[in-house]
Formats: sequence, C-alpha cells, structure tokens
Amino acid sequence: MSDSRSPSAWSARWPLLAAIAAVCIGTVYGFAFFTPLEEGARNQMSLLYGAMFWASVLIGVLMLTMITRLFDAGWAPIIRRSWEFLLPALPIVILLGVAPLAFNPSVRHAVWEWTSATDHAAHAKSWFLNEPFLLGRIGFYIVAFGGLGWALRHWSFRQDGDRTAGHTHTLHAISAAGVPVAALTLTFLAFDCLMALSYHWFSTMYGVWFFTLSIRMALSVTVILTHLLSTRGWLGGMLNQAHRHVLGCLMLAFTVFWAYISFSQYFIIYNANIPEETFWYNIREIDAVTGEKSQWWWVSMFMVFGFFLLPFILLLFYRTKIIASRIVAVASLIFVGGLVDLWWNAIPRKIHDHSEVGFHVNDFLVPQLGLDLLAVLGFGALVFAIFLRTVRNAECIPVHDPRISESLEYHE
Amino acid sequence: MNDHSPQDTQPRREERVFGVACSFRSVAEIFHAAERIRDAGWKKWDVYTPFPIHGMDAAMGLPRSSIPRVTLLAGITGFVTGCLLTWYTNSFDYPLIVGAKPYWSVIYPFPVLYECTILFAAFGTFFGQFIFNRLPRHHHPLFDVPQFIRVSDDAFMVVLEVTDPHFGNPDKAYDFLASLGGQDITLVRD
Repeated sequence: MSDSRSPSAWSARWPLLAAIAAVCIGTVYGFAFFTPLEEGARNQMSLLYGAMFWASVLIGVLMLTMITRLFDAGWAPIIRRSWEFLLPALPIVILLGVAPLAFNPSVRHAVWEWTSATDHAAHAKSWFLNEPFLLGRIGFYIVAFGGLGWALRHWSFRQDGDRTAGHTHTLHAISAAGVPVAALTLTFLAFDCLMALSYHWFSTMYGVWFFTLSIRMALSVTVILTHLLSTRGWLGGMLNQAHRHVLGCLMLAFTVFWAYISFSQYFIIYNANIPEETFWYNIREIDAVTGEKSQWWWVSMFMVFGFFLLPFILLLFYRTKIIASRIVAVASLIFVGGLVDLWWNAIPRKIHDHSEVGFHVNDFLVPQLGLDLLAVLGFGALVFAIFLRTVRNAECIPVHDPRISESLEYHE
Repeated sequence: MNDHSPQDTQPRREERVFGVACSFRSVAEIFHAAERIRDAGWKKWDVYTPFPIHGMDAAMGLPRSSIPRVTLLAGITGFVTGCLLTWYTNSFDYPLIVGAKPYWSVIYPFPVLYECTILFAAFGTFFGQFIFNRLPRHHHPLFDVPQFIRVSDDAFMVVLEVTDPHFGNPDKAYDFLASLGGQDITLVRD
C-alpha cells in the first residue's frame, strides 16, 4: 500500500474538509439568522434541509451497523468499520443543524408554524406539539443517537487492542436494545423536523418512510465511499465483487421497500379521500389557484420514475451489482433521488395570500435551492471531516473481529 | 494406460451409456480436474461433492442461471394480466365507479397489479426451474453406481456424459479421466 493510500495520509486532510464545512455552514447560518423572517421560512429551511439530509444518511448508517451486528453478517466487518467512523457525526449534525433553529424563538415560530397557531388542530395536538416538549425531544435525539453511536464504537474499537471476542457479544446486546430505541428516535425526529412542518397533516407511515430513505441514503454513500477507499484508500485489495453484490442486493431491496412505503402512504390517503389528508399531496401536484400542474408535479414524477423505477430496473441485473462503475452510477442516482425526496417532503407549503383560495404553494425552482445544496455540501464536509478525524482512533478494519477473515474472503 | 477391469469398461450390446464417472480424493484435486475439463471444452458433465466448493462455478465454466429471465418475463406477463383484468372487469365489461375513483387508472388497482406481478413471477421461477432442471425425475443413472453414495460423505466425483461431442467412445473418456488423476473410473449405464 503506497503511503498516500494509508489511513494516516487520508486523516491528515481533515482540516481542509473542516474549513469547507465552516465556510458553507457559516454562509447558511448567515441566511438563516440574519435575513428577515418570511412566511414559509425558506432561508431557514436550507439549514434544516442540509442537516436532515445528512442526519438521514447517518441514521441509516447507525441502523445498518446494528442490523449487521444482530444478524452476524459475515460480509460486514470491513465495511462496518467505515460506518463506525461516520457515527460520531450524527449528534453533531442535529446539534448544528436542527437545534439552533428550534432554540431561537423567532426562527422557531417561522419554521414550525404550529408554535404560533391557534386553530383547533394545533390545540388538539398541543400535548405533543408544545415548545418545551419540542426542545426536550431535540435534546433527547442528540443524546440517544450520540450515546448509541458511542457505545457501538467504544467496544468495537476496544476489540482492536485487547482482542476480546466477548466484545462482539456486548455489541450484539447493545444492538438488540438499540434497534427499537433508534427506530423510535428516528420516527419522532421525522415527525418533528419534517411531518410537523405541515402540522394539520399526519401519516402513520412517515417514520417508516424516513427509515427507508435513511437506509437507501446510507447504502448509496457506503457504495461510493467504499469504492473510493478501495481504489484510492485503505480498502484496496479487500473490497471484492461479493461485497458489491451484497450492497447492490440491499439497495434493490430498499428501493422496493421505499416504493412500497411511499406508495402505501399515498394509496391510503387517495382511497380515504379526506381533505385534511389529501391537501398534502395536492400542494405537491397542482397549482391551487389555476388547477394546473405545478413544478412539484414534475418533482413527483421524478420520484416515481427516477428514484424508484430506473434504479429498480437497473438493479435487477446481476452485472449492475458487481461491476464497480455501474453500481457506483446507480448509487449516485439514488443519492440525487434522496436529495429530491427530501425537498419534496420538506419544502412545499401553503403561503397565505389574497388569491381566491387564500394561499399559494412555494415553487420548487427558487434561488434558495443553491443555499440548500450549499448546506448539503457544508454538512457533508463536516461529516467527512469527523470521519477522517475518527479514522485515527482505531484500525482501519476490525483486525480482531471474530468474523474478519470471513469478511475478507467473502464469497457469493 | 488403460488398466481397468474389462467387464467394467465395455458396455454390453443392448445397453445405453449415460457417461463415465470417476472419483477424486480432495477438493484441490477435483478443483484442478474441473478446470482442465472446462479448458478441454466439455459442456455436458458435472461435479458431485459432499459440500459446496467456493469458486467451483468458475472452475467448471458454468454460466449464470437463466431462471431470472423467466422470472422477469413472467412478472411482466403478470403485470399486464393484472392491468387487463382490472380494465376489462371495471372499465369495459361492466363500468363501475367505486369510491369516486376512475373506471380505470394505474393507481386504484395497483395492489392487484403488483400481486399479479409477484404471483406470476413466483410461478415462473418455480415452474421454470422444474423445466430447466428436468424435474420431476424419479431415478438417475448415477444411483446405480455403488461409489456414488460416498459423494454425500467424503468422495468427490466427476461424471462425463455421453451426450458431449468430446465423449467419442468410453475408452477415450477413461483415458482422459485417468490423465486427470481420477480414480475408480466406472462406466455409468443409462
């Protein structure tokens, strides 16, 4: 292994990423906290958007780390160590991206309309949607995700030094307890930071939708990251065709599962046809004043064909899953689709005006899209700066994991 | 070279021959024998081992199964069948509005469409493998070979089948297997 591919050479680059993160997130902060507040809080949404995107990636990583522990996945150890390096970023992303919006009262009122609403829906839900409880919950999300990530890293990293197989059993137990905790935590995070942005609307599928999105995002980032690490980093000669195949199969499974959950949510609301639920889909399809298809209609169509159908058909083929360039291309498509899915879920809102229906829906194509992407870039740089910092704390693969040789010689 | 017992080498006049079998003593031996049989261009032959051997597919030069293509075609057939079924019954033969939904769209009958897709794809896979594997089959010529029972224990067996153009006559196949280091070379009668 040449020196430039070693973990220490990679790790030395973390300050560069940290600087990019500081500039990007600083700019996004500037727009979020130093521009006039408007209805819809579009400038503030960029900060929430960027943070929630990377939170979804990292929540998927957390779930995959625990699920592969629970199932004793023989292929996983060499890939799981990279997930463990990513985990410390999760509480930091929520701390820097969600907490500042929630703890600033005037920004909070602009982003979460229910905090200043006085209608019956807001009143009926106030046992849950009240400001002290919201702040407490956000604190809980940071602590729960941070604690789980710490525990999963701690015993795994300790195994490098003391070679104790018993740590694998400890991690088994932590994962068994951690999966339901993380499932509930990610569900309520999705309720608070995405679903509650339209507080009249509700969907029991929403937590599962966020889970499937998170796993899809984590898998696409994993495929791209492990490919980079095998061509230019420390996984060279370790990552083989069978690892790509298993990641490809998981991508296919969760592409189908995402479509199943997203369509089921649509189908239940479509069938019941109750105005307090259907409006949420209406504002994502038609212009309320003219009745014409809005920009969001085309975004919706991209979700159906670009985020489900195309990856689904491509991933059906065995060769897509084993040829590195093809699976990286599909993973990139899914990554872009995840950005679009989050836009589609978080951004459309009713903005009150003097038209005959009393509101219009904010458009998809606005200048703040650039700010959203800057936030994604900033938090992405932050996540990988933390990743590179954490690489120093352990071996780059878990050399004393009981399944390490099975993972290195993993075979279809 | 050819020092096998004569009663075992020559088929009796009215008999049909399935192929020639031989045993190997280790994974490494049979693995390398398989590579050499593959490289000699054989297609109609098989390897029988007590457990799966990683990499044997490639050593034998086996292509991937064609079953997924059958599954895909059957799944598309199922989807189209579901579309036709719901369109014909609800929109064409007896147009009926249910729950203020259109006579036909791709949304309201979607559970039917995808259930049909899955049902047909599963049937296609199941019956496709029956056809591809030539099942059901109640007897196989190898069951009459005494040493075949040991492939479920500690023997590794290669069988060259008579239908392969390389087979020629049993003596030629015997010599080829002997040159690979095979032992207990036996004629398999059909």
